[in-house]
Amino acid sequence: MSIPTIRKQKIVKNHWKIRLILFGILAVLLILTALFSEQLCPYDPYLQNLANAKAAPSADHIFGTDRYGRDMLSRVIAGSRTSIFSSLILVAVITIFGTVVGVFCGWKGGWVDSLIMRISDIFLAFPGLVFALAAAAVLGGGIQNAMLALAAISWPKYARIARGQTMAQKEATYIQAARLSGCNTGQIIRRHILPNIAGAILVTAMLDIGTMLMELAGLSFLGLGAKPPAAEWGSMMSDTRNLLATHPWVPFAPGIAIFVSVTVFNLLGEAVRDWLDPHSER
Amino acid sequence: METVLEVRNLTKTFPKRGSREALEAVADVSFRIEPGECLAVIGGSGSGKTTVAKMITRLLPADSGQIFLMGEEITHAKGKALRTIYRKMQMVFQTPAESFDPRRTLGESAAESLCNQGIGKAEAASRVQELFLRCGLPEEYLMRYPHEVSGGQCQRAAIARAAVLHPALLILDEATSALDMTVQKEILELLSELRREEGMTYLFISHDIALVQQFCDRVLVMDQGRMIEEGTPDEVIRAPRQEYTKRLIESIL
Repeated sequence: MSIPTIRKQKIVKNHWKIRLILFGILAVLLILTALFSEQLCPYDPYLQNLANAKAAPSADHIFGTDRYGRDMLSRVIAGSRTSIFSSLILVAVITIFGTVVGVFCGWKGGWVDSLIMRISDIFLAFPGLVFALAAAAVLGGGIQNAMLALAAISWPKYARIARGQTMAQKEATYIQAARLSGCNTGQIIRRHILPNIAGAILVTAMLDIGTMLMELAGLSFLGLGAKPPAAEWGSMMSDTRNLLATHPWVPFAPGIAIFVSVTVFNLLGEAVRDWLDPHSER
Repeated sequence: METVLEVRNLTKTFPKRGSREALEAVADVSFRIEPGECLAVIGGSGSGKTTVAKMITRLLPADSGQIFLMGEEITHAKGKALRTIYRKMQMVFQTPAESFDPRRTLGESAAESLCNQGIGKAEAASRVQELFLRCGLPEEYLMRYPHEVSGGQCQRAAIARAAVLHPALLILDEATSALDMTVQKEILELLSELRREEGMTYLFISHDIALVQQFCDRVLVMDQGRMIEEGTPDEVIRAPRQEYTKRLIESIL
């Protein structure tokens, strides 16, 4: 094999490291923006200035202003807190809950597994939007209730992945070897099962951050999540959608924010998947 | 000296998929192994050899029968009692790479049994290192992952992991079957050396009667879950009493 071919292979093998670092930095930047949104906003995102309504993008207002003259850049930055943090919290909750349930079912098997999996089937059978509408009708609107509705229908996916992976790993020879090393069930799950199934779950979770961000924005767009004047990307798009033909930069600003965030988290998810592949070069 | 392992009337059945009938994997198997002895269990695929090994190691519960390790009954041992049992008995599996956690280094996996016995990490690491060296693996192999070493090196690490607790009994379940001839020879030499130095007793499960002849003291032939013949390897090869044993020998010679 020629040296350039070997070098090329090495570059391909190490490609995930570059992607992981790049998208990791971008994701951290997004999270930091959400965290320090108050300090980063050039203007008060709720301050109206009707004299400067629907202003086109300029040096003063990079994303222009909305119909109340509020600076769109400030509103997008302020909205990142609700949109990104809600998605992160939601994904963390469903990942942990789903994994615990899945590992328990996969390890235990029997009627307990069948019962819990049928319950998860019921949740899976609900169309997300219908469930969110029902939840909003019962619990009222608001971002927390939208998160609750999404959590209720999203955890079974994690439970199914964790269960399937646990069932496959449970039969593996190295688990038998771990038993012979004197590990009890708790130690086997903690030291061997969880690290070996974490890759699939973590990748799903990373990819779900983007999905949840979009779904929460979608629910807010329909008026089932955050309500105006709260700065949230979905509700901002809904609030300004009738300006699409005349002043497109207004709905574009939150739209681009959603697009960029979803892309960054999805690509980070893929880089994490390659990173967690035990056969990737370390 | 005390018998290392005694198995009495061991039986195991598995339910057949889509049928009410049960598959008799092991039926009424009895044998004993004396200290320092190497007993071979041979038979074709599905003859029940591995099921016997898994019942002895308590990876599978026995349906009936009794298992005694160093005079103590372990047939229904559970929980903490198993930890004590695994100090006296270890197993080496057929597929070395699969017997190691892919996310842990060989050193970490080998030290796990010591740590589970309450030995400190530093002490465990030095003991594992010593055994790796004895098994022909230099220090750097401690930090390697299972997919970073060859089958033979991985099996050496597996033997080191099994021997690190200095067990009285080592069960070798087709431990050389997945390796090529030269590596197989090296592994057998390593096992002979350990047996000589540590006085270990082996239960050597294999389908290769020629290999058994050069390595084991006594042989049991299994067919369809039953023990059909017993004797020294020479006796069994020269004068097989059962038709199945004859076929098994003819297939190799």
